[in-house]
Amino acid sequence: MSDATLPSVARIRVIFENGDPERVIEFDPARAPFQHDGKAGSILDVLLGHGIHLEHACGGNCACTTCHVIVKGGGDTLSASDESEDDLLDKAPGLTPTSRLGCQAVVEDPDAEIVVVIPRYTINQIASEHGG
Amino acid sequence: MAVEHAARVARIVQHAPDTRSLFLRGPRIAFRPGQFISCLLPVGGETLIRPYSIASSPEEDDLEICLNLVPGGLGSPYLLGLPVGAEVRFTGPWGTFVLDRAPEAEVIFVADGTAIAPIRPMLRRAVATATRHPLRLLYGAAGPERLLYRAELEAMAREHTGFRFEHVPSARLHDEVARRWVDGDADRGRRFFICGVGAIVPALRDLLRGAGYERRAVQYEKW
Repeated sequence: MSDATLPSVARIRVIFENGDPERVIEFDPARAPFQHDGKAGSILDVLLGHGIHLEHACGGNCACTTCHVIVKGGGDTLSASDESEDDLLDKAPGLTPTSRLGCQAVVEDPDAEIVVVIPRYTINQIASEHGG
Repeated sequence: MAVEHAARVARIVQHAPDTRSLFLRGPRIAFRPGQFISCLLPVGGETLIRPYSIASSPEEDDLEICLNLVPGGLGSPYLLGLPVGAEVRFTGPWGTFVLDRAPEAEVIFVADGTAIAPIRPMLRRAVATATRHPLRLLYGAAGPERLLYRAELEAMAREHTGFRFEHVPSARLHDEVARRWVDGDADRGRRFFICGVGAIVPALRDLLRGAGYERRAVQYEKW
């Protein structure tokens, strides 16, 4: 069998800031979507489709920040953010320079090696000081 | 995992053949005007997550959500089919599209159709702060008979001289915003809260930011 016929394997290593055990997901991005919320092939799609819970209060439609993740590696293999995502991230608790919304960041490289951290606090509820 | 709440449909108000408000009664939750709840709907053997803006004010006992039938949608037919007494599970409140303190500049609210829902409690809050800054609502709907909360908005405009409310056809929202607040003068100190369905929302965002309004002065929620 030649390399060209081998299925692609992308990996997402998921680190939970709350101390839950790390997970590694191996998947073929070409098989997206893996479920029905978020952009097809997005981090949210991949995680939910592989049994990892990631909050997505708006249903994965880029209307809240509850699927906020911090990309620690492989960020260049993800789709670029757009203005709508950036505007929401602007209000995300614990924003970092490599923050993304899980529902919008699509794995574009079939051999991607991605590391994401799920922040301890993904809520933007009543206690939040954000917003205007 | 987010905390789940359970409420009952206490009352249903039919605004139009395809548009209703559901009043949910359950544990009272604190929220900020403009936020939404995330309904967990048992449809087709799975749980759908669907966000609905809270159309009522934090001071009220029931949570009001206002929705219309979305052709091809799964969540709205389920909710619109619920009778009084039915249970609705949800998480929240969620969202950062909020206005809960006295405005520090003129505020322009732009709503299209049922997207008046999050704007309504924001407006009520803004009016209640007795702000000295003008408040404007530009409300897009196919015709005046399709305006939700029309009597309330008209009464608010009569009672609060700083608040003005105008209806425009939805198809003219972009041009009317441009005419009033882009071409109309050079003031770029206003703040905008925009809510609607689909492409009109980023189009208005881009129009206003492109015209010189600061990024954070243009807040929006796209459904």
